[in-house]
Amino acid sequence: MNNRNHFINYLFILPAFLLVVILLLIPMLQNIYYSFFNWDGIKEPIYIGLKNYLSIFTDVNFLISLRNTIIWVGFTLIFPVMGGLLVAVFMRGLKFENFFKSIFFIPITISFVATGIIWTYMFSREMGVINSLLNLIGLNIKISWLTKVPLNTFALLIGWTWQQLGINMVLFLMGLATIPSEQTEAAMIDGANKWQMFIHITFPMLRPITTVVITMAMVNSFKAFDIIYVMTRGGPYRSSETLAVTMFRETFTIFNMGYGAAIAVILSIIVIAVSSIYIKRMTQKDLLYY
Amino acid sequence: MKVKPTKFVLYFIVIILVLIWLLPVWTSFLTAFKSPEEFISQKFYQFPQKLLSIIENLKNTFGIYKLHEHLLNSFIYAVAGAGIAIITASMAGFSIIRLKPKFNFPIFLIIYSGTLFPFQMYLIPVYKLFNTIGLYDTRLGMILIYSAMCIPFSLFVYRGFYTTIPKEIEEAAKLDGCGPLKLYTYIFLPQSIAPTAVVALFQMTWIWNDLLFGMVLTRSQNTRPIMVALASMSGPSGGTIIPYAMAGVILTSIPTILLFILLRRYFISGMKLSVSGE
Repeated sequence: MNNRNHFINYLFILPAFLLVVILLLIPMLQNIYYSFFNWDGIKEPIYIGLKNYLSIFTDVNFLISLRNTIIWVGFTLIFPVMGGLLVAVFMRGLKFENFFKSIFFIPITISFVATGIIWTYMFSREMGVINSLLNLIGLNIKISWLTKVPLNTFALLIGWTWQQLGINMVLFLMGLATIPSEQTEAAMIDGANKWQMFIHITFPMLRPITTVVITMAMVNSFKAFDIIYVMTRGGPYRSSETLAVTMFRETFTIFNMGYGAAIAVILSIIVIAVSSIYIKRMTQKDLLYY
Repeated sequence: MKVKPTKFVLYFIVIILVLIWLLPVWTSFLTAFKSPEEFISQKFYQFPQKLLSIIENLKNTFGIYKLHEHLLNSFIYAVAGAGIAIITASMAGFSIIRLKPKFNFPIFLIIYSGTLFPFQMYLIPVYKLFNTIGLYDTRLGMILIYSAMCIPFSLFVYRGFYTTIPKEIEEAAKLDGCGPLKLYTYIFLPQSIAPTAVVALFQMTWIWNDLLFGMVLTRSQNTRPIMVALASMSGPSGGTIIPYAMAGVILTSIPTILLFILLRRYFISGMKLSVSGE
């Protein structure tokens, strides 16, 4: 024990280290390697340098996918994130607060696939709940939510918001709990109304947790795959794909694996860039040195 | 008691939102109890005639889609995958924090970097690797990849927790002549209930809900996880029998809902950990 380099100290780390290096790290490096090749997974890969990366500028499907991904991120920031914040702020102090909180929380406990199936039903053209509701108020228009472009992406995002708002709400509630009550009390004595309090006190003091929420929400929206796959398979005609779905399709449906690897790299660069603030926070020296 | 008008509006908005949020849950739940014929002929808000249709619907999910086989697969994956991650990550966390071998910081960073990249970065090479060494479409392969993917987060949790164990306890044990193995087994491990619960909750849920790796790395019935089977029950190409799909949704959601209910207080501490690292 006195010898820090005692063999057994390394032995404790070994299993975890091996699993991660063999199944995650080395594959990650291999993925970067594959992205420079033209490869269908079976035949010999052909080296093509940066061709995969350059072709994204001319690939219509990629550009549509990129557009959809941007819509996903924007929508996520507005509805699940801001919505989560507003719900958290305005629900505090209401009677039955805990009951309300759990309602928004339920969707997190089920899988993305389950969410996708539920909302496929909601948006179904013939028997769906949404169209039936519209029918009830007199609008018998039978919208084809999941096949009209770009309506289908927004339908997907509604299902996504339904599931994701709860988690942001929970995080914001955690942040709200850290605001010292003296501030809000002093403000109330000074005559501030709820809205003024929100803008000048609550929101600024929530900045740390807001950073986390925004980062996590953006990263999750980049990674969203299951819900899109279940509800539309990325279609029709690849019109509702996001980068994550495109990567899957190019790799495992079209078998353009080098190109799929390049898309994975691009996706990773975007995700890491977005998370860099969060990463910086998590790997702060004082946090990791003990 | 007069209710202030703004408070009233607030309650109104919240209640509307709650109703909107409950609508999908309620209609889906209701649909699972309808037979396919009832479903087609009824409006969405009408109640089923006989509640027992759910049994029929479930029987069909078992019969046609063989959900029970996939449930078993996912159960094995969740328990084994999270289990291996828990054991290996707690051991590694212990060593990194207390035993401090040389290079422990770079080693920690290497493992923690697993949380940075989206899963797509691992997908193609692991697919190729599994094909090459014969782990494609095997339960062992799935358990290994799920374990590997759970380790980074688990290590993060255990490391954070172990920094809170007072040094005095460790000093006392050392004075009593405890070697590292005894220190780990009798001191650190028994105190690890909280981080283990957090890891179990988050990682078992994640493994259970996985679709992507299940689809790519398996293809037969006795290896495919549950969500792949569930996803096959519904799709844009038509032929979906919605009551069956809803019965499947309920069935496959019960384990994770139960897990959340049982371990709910660890959910908050898990969230706190991800947010502030402590």
